[in-house]
Amino acid sequence: MKDFRIDHESRGPVQLIRLVGSLDMYSFPRLESQLNALFQQGRYSLVLDCRDLDYIGSAGLGALIGFAKQAREHNGDLRLLNVPERIYKIIELLGFTKVLQVHQTEDDAVGSFQAK
Amino acid sequence: MGELSKGISVGCVNNRVYARVVGRGTFQNSQPLRQFALEKIDQGQGQFIIDLGPCQGMDSTFLGMLAGIGLRLRQNGPTASIHIVNINARNMDLLQTLGLDRLFLINADAPAFPSDAEYHQLPDTDITQLKHPLNKDETADLMIEAHDNLARIDQRNTPRFKELARFLRETVERRHPNGKEKK
Repeated sequence: MKDFRIDHESRGPVQLIRLVGSLDMYSFPRLESQLNALFQQGRYSLVLDCRDLDYIGSAGLGALIGFAKQAREHNGDLRLLNVPERIYKIIELLGFTKVLQVHQTEDDAVGSFQAK
Repeated sequence: MGELSKGISVGCVNNRVYARVVGRGTFQNSQPLRQFALEKIDQGQGQFIIDLGPCQGMDSTFLGMLAGIGLRLRQNGPTASIHIVNINARNMDLLQTLGLDRLFLINADAPAFPSDAEYHQLPDTDITQLKHPLNKDETADLMIEAHDNLARIDQRNTPRFKELARFLRETVERRHPNGKEKK
């Protein structure tokens, strides 16, 4: 099991956050702190790159919806990128794909904010 | 018990029910253990021993499902209980964070897994190789119940999972407006 890691970089006004490892109840508070810190800086356009994500728990996904809602209240959003098939199956089963945008490429995800 | 394959193995010896979680315990393999445990409780079993030694991690649904078994056992009197054995620090931290250490007996005089017992793996509990797709409605109901259980155990869990609980309830309501029968 990989250690959980978060890498963050800016793509213009869009914040690209790469998640590595397992996002579970144990590691989620780290992402939560990172997202809260970005919100405090007024950065509400977020893309979570899940390419190297091994696992995401149900509560973590639920919390992401809360962050997406907060972001939308400030004309931003939280969108997912490169979701591995096994994780996509989970989020689709739970209905999260209806409320969280999922993108296949970085350009598409970042560009989707500019197209708003 | 032979080589540990991923999933949930169970066995019953001397009026004790044993379960061992290998790999992850998640909403994807909660239902088989819940069903098995409730059947055993209905048959009069009151002692559950859950080995989390080979468990890599648990999500809130799995923990809420375990809490539900614990709450159900509580109704059967003070001698009925869940013993959690071989728990690692990471999983222990999860139990404590959610207040479940107050519901379960943890590493408390739990007997070792009897080696002569016959165990069998509950079907479709290896989440890396699920053979059957999960039912959306059953999964949503299971998750709602599990998170309700967590809130019953510790009120601090209510805000923790409020977004998930709200989303699941809204999803169920959208699928079955006015409580129409679920498929």
